[in-house]
Amino acid sequence: MEILDPTVEAATQPIAYVDRPGSLKGKRIGLIENTKYNSDKLLLKIGEILKKDYGASETRLFRKHNASVPAHEEIIVEVRKTCDVIVAGVGD
Amino acid sequence: MAVELTSKRYRVEDLDAVEFCFQQGWTDGLPVIPPTPERVEAMLAAGRLDPKQEIAFITNRSVSITAEKVAINAVMAGCRPEYMGVVIAAVEGIGDPAWGYHGPGTSTGGAAVLMIVNGPIARQLDINSGDNLFGPGWRSSLTMGRALRLVMRNVCGSIPGLLDRGTLGHPGKVSYVIAENEAESPWTPLHVERGFRPDQSTVTVMAAEGPHQFYNQLSPDAEGVLTTLADSMQHSGGAGRQPQYVVALAGEHMRTIAGSGWTKKEIRQFLFDRTQNSLAHLKRTHRIPGEVQPGDESKMRPIVASPEDFLIVAAGGRAGSFSSFIPGWGSGNSSRATTKEVKR
Repeated sequence: MEILDPTVEAATQPIAYVDRPGSLKGKRIGLIENTKYNSDKLLLKIGEILKKDYGASETRLFRKHNASVPAHEEIIVEVRKTCDVIVAGVGD
Repeated sequence: MAVELTSKRYRVEDLDAVEFCFQQGWTDGLPVIPPTPERVEAMLAAGRLDPKQEIAFITNRSVSITAEKVAINAVMAGCRPEYMGVVIAAVEGIGDPAWGYHGPGTSTGGAAVLMIVNGPIARQLDINSGDNLFGPGWRSSLTMGRALRLVMRNVCGSIPGLLDRGTLGHPGKVSYVIAENEAESPWTPLHVERGFRPDQSTVTVMAAEGPHQFYNQLSPDAEGVLTTLADSMQHSGGAGRQPQYVVALAGEHMRTIAGSGWTKKEIRQFLFDRTQNSLAHLKRTHRIPGEVQPGDESKMRPIVASPEDFLIVAAGGRAGSFSSFIPGWGSGNSSRATTKEVKR
């Protein structure tokens, strides 16, 4: 008997990663908050640590529409303009 | 007409085919019908579908769900070819951005896909709208929902324990399909309320918890029955987090409520008014954070944003003083029920 594969053969898709910075000194940090309870507090805390212990210059918090969707276009555009590094978190 | 199927082919001994599917990780834990090219072609022919046709694109997974893959999974689930149109409409429904696949396809919240079928197709395919509404006994109901879940597993990658991280899940994740009892209902059918004509057939999909049953054998009128229902719903789900609810009113309750002359609109408004919780109660019961503040006893939070977020269907057995409600999955607008036409 011959049977057919019900799964999808994964399409290959190249993903280009930005080079990681050697240091966070003077870098502007974007924090992508997913709206889950306390996720803003956690990310702001992380941002403070990145400033205090790693020399980052500033942090900006962005809020997604909800936890189930990717960051929307306005966030991406703004992050490109105003941040060097981003931290995205999932809190549960 | 010869169709070109492009899925990878495996040659297996007839007796080993079911076991082979288990070994490949293609099943939901139950045996499947081996998806031979002939069976898959029959499924596509019944739906008048080109195998390459894209039925839905799941953005978060970068996955294109083609008619061929839906057909293969529908065969495996045990569908008859004439069920294909309903399965296709359901796949379109979960591919709609408003349904938001990523959440209900992965979340710890453990949502199933509740499918509600309306219009002539429900009766033609004998989709259950009566006794044992959410239970076993109807091939169409069980295999269509199973086909959808197999598509989610095999095409979208929502594999329990891997991408599908439901903490508890529930039995509806195997299959969760009902029809509205339009033949006996005194009310406007769900699909007509959602903008379709009565003679159109549709599938509404909602990311959903399991059915919650309630009991009222005492009340002779709408207000009595719905008071019990509202009390049961008031603290359900996240008590104010769910985007929507389905309410399935079975035969006795349907007749009692209709006997009072109430429409679905009046039912929705009554439920909206009677299911609200005070902020004080939600804080005391640790559903929302913070200390109870002055005024919290009288500040009320509804369990959904609008009365329209209660989807009312007439469904369930003719006898018995039971009906049910089903909290949707998620919070805010993370997943909304969608309704798609069954094209034939």
